[in-house]
Amino acid sequence: MKITTYAQNLHDLNLIKDQGITEVILAHKNFARFGKLSTEEFISLSSRAHEFSLRVLFEWDILMTETTFQEVIQELPDLIKHVDVLRVQDPGALHWAIHHTDRPLQFIAENGNHNARALKEWIAHAPGRMERIILSIELSKAVIEEYVQTLTVPCELLGFGRILLFYTPRSLLSPLAPEKLIQNEEILALGESEESPHKGFPILENRHGTFMFHIKEFCLVEFSTELRDMGLQYFRVDLRWDKMEHLKILKSSIDNYKTEIFDTFKDEYAQDLMRGFYLVNKTDVLFPKLKNHRLQKREGHYLGEVMDAEKGSHLAISLKKDLRKSDKLKILHPKGKEFEVEIFSLRNLSLEDVDIVEAGSVALIQYMNGVWVKSQVFLA
Amino acid sequence: MSEQFVPEVLAPAGGLDKLKVAVLYGASAVYVGGQKFGLRTAADNFTLDELTEGVCFAHAHGSKVYVVLNSFLHDKDLSELPEFVAHLEAIKVDAVIVSDLGVVQTVRDLSTIPIHVSTQASTLNVEAAKLWKKMGATRIVLGREVSIKEAGIIKRQAGVEVELFIHGSMCMAYSGNCVISNFTQGRDSNRGGCAHSCRFEYSLDMGLDTEEKKKAFFMSSKDLEGLRVLPEFIKEEIDSLKIEGRMKSHLYAGTMSKVYSEALKYYAQNGNFLSDDLVSWEAELSKVSHRSYTKASLVEKADATSIFNERENSNENEWQMLGTVVEANAKAGIVIEVRNAFNQGDLLEIVPFLGPAILINANEIVDLLMRPLTRTKPTTLVRLPYREGVLAQHLIRQKVH
Ligand code: SF4
Repeated sequence: MKITTYAQNLHDLNLIKDQGITEVILAHKNFARFGKLSTEEFISLSSRAHEFSLRVLFEWDILMTETTFQEVIQELPDLIKHVDVLRVQDPGALHWAIHHTDRPLQFIAENGNHNARALKEWIAHAPGRMERIILSIELSKAVIEEYVQTLTVPCELLGFGRILLFYTPRSLLSPLAPEKLIQNEEILALGESEESPHKGFPILENRHGTFMFHIKEFCLVEFSTELRDMGLQYFRVDLRWDKMEHLKILKSSIDNYKTEIFDTFKDEYAQDLMRGFYLVNKTDVLFPKLKNHRLQKREGHYLGEVMDAEKGSHLAISLKKDLRKSDKLKILHPKGKEFEVEIFSLRNLSLEDVDIVEAGSVALIQYMNGVWVKSQVFLA
Repeated sequence: MSEQFVPEVLAPAGGLDKLKVAVLYGASAVYVGGQKFGLRTAADNFTLDELTEGVCFAHAHGSKVYVVLNSFLHDKDLSELPEFVAHLEAIKVDAVIVSDLGVVQTVRDLSTIPIHVSTQASTLNVEAAKLWKKMGATRIVLGREVSIKEAGIIKRQAGVEVELFIHGSMCMAYSGNCVISNFTQGRDSNRGGCAHSCRFEYSLDMGLDTEEKKKAFFMSSKDLEGLRVLPEFIKEEIDSLKIEGRMKSHLYAGTMSKVYSEALKYYAQNGNFLSDDLVSWEAELSKVSHRSYTKASLVEKADATSIFNERENSNENEWQMLGTVVEANAKAGIVIEVRNAFNQGDLLEIVPFLGPAILINANEIVDLLMRPLTRTKPTTLVRLPYREGVLAQHLIRQKVH
């Protein structure tokens, strides 16, 4: 299992080289969400990386409306000469890269793409060119294992770094920031809300919009042996907001995990760490509770709903099907109690005694003790 | 005058009743969710029988039905999809709305149902649209960050139908790119579990010297409203104008369908919007509850004025839905299913499917058994004297503030 990581300057690059890492992700400020490198800086860093025999991965992970897309692709031909691989996230960038470049491609499938079928289709879409898929950190280990073993290209997973929660192109901090901050390339803030138990969400605004991160950072270093045994090919370390010097201990822990050493690191590390959904993803278990089960029973013999009920007088039922005087009914109270009812009085809304009331209309039958408005009515 | 291009008005329908309301009030298409695979977990949603009935009803009135399958499905969810797709094909739904490539391929394998790529996929440019078209999509519901002009370019250059939101609440994030709920509340926002954390008030520490933190609803978006830029949608031949809001009320579904379809009809007939009706349509839009309106990115990139820096619900609506006409004829009178109580003597507005509201003074209210009432109660049926022009399914509202 190889480590991949970002360099933002020559110092980072030297640290990467010293750790025996073989590739580096470079982020240009116009193409990458958190890129800081100008074209000049990018080209210079890229050539130094090549001198260090590092493979240069070009991160193009912004999402782009057509206007932005047209602007940024003007710059690409000059940059592509200096990189070995394109990493793309916007499907438009993927399509463009397939047709306008000859570089190998890596697809960032971190957003959604939680089924093998989707991932296989992305790979199949760039035959012979797709060299890596970057998986979502919302996947559990069982799913990661399955994908690593069944996908036809190597997989990469974020193993250490910030968790991006939110990405908008709108500038949300600058309307609140004082003039001196607005001049900066980026505005930073920590956010907390009384409506959330979490405090201190890092928020960043830059030329690409506004981003919010989790208060804890993502860490799968403890599971590095397991991930290697599964066959995961690339473990990404993202230290762009922390000290790049941590790369050394992280690299040695990933290669050869020692609990005591890593526990000490964790204790001293500035941020709390979390493993997210690595052990299990149960983010859909609450959904059945959000649904009203009574509403889900409207199948089969469902006749309609009680719209009006008057003790000693009538029940008025909105009808989805014709109702005949000879019909027998089952009525389900909103709280679950069931009633069997034989009809002996059937009237229409003009209060006429009838033998049938048609679907789409309202029927009045005799009152039944205990039945309320919103009770559901079925043909027995 | 040459034949005027008229976009489709695509209204939300959170349940069968709302589907009927939207169709009767003029929506040329509705989008609905089944019990699974869509994003509105807490919505009423449709049973299979209701979907069948809804499709029959819409088709009988010349409207289309699109079914949302726009969750980012996990493998286990995907395995349950084929049976549902077979049902959708059998009842002849007009399209499915999909955001996940695995779902696109599953639908393609099993059916000939047209595939619309959901806004959840955040398709924003020509190249992305071309790619989705190759994957089998016939229409792209573009991201809300796309301008009308850009949407026109995407349509022409990618050769695919395009749909753009024209009205409703907005996700502040690029759709599908917010996992706040997933990581802070354990609810997958991309499978229907969004907890609306972007609507919270936040204290922001910007590292200033002062102790004071900025308090703001800085991540909350105003609601989209595109009525005044309808000519731009028409000029760019945007195929479908989408109204957000499957969780919203009957009054919302009806009002939006009516206003946008009437406005488009007017334009088709007159080739302009130089009409007093524009003011009345805007007045109608303000009669349903909403946050402050913005054009967001429809014309220019959304700026600071698109942020809704207010507490939710502080924008109390002046108008309230009172109920729905269940039946209206000379014998039965106007039978109303009451949702919110009203009093004898109140002035009610009955919203017809076409044209201006019918005003009625509720001087003579009786219950189902013809006994006089001075005040109605919610969840009851009451009668008013019959009035020509009032039809079953008409919605009734009242000014309350
Ligand atoms: S929290 Fe807000 S931005 Fe995030 S998914 Fe929900 S509505 Fe969209």
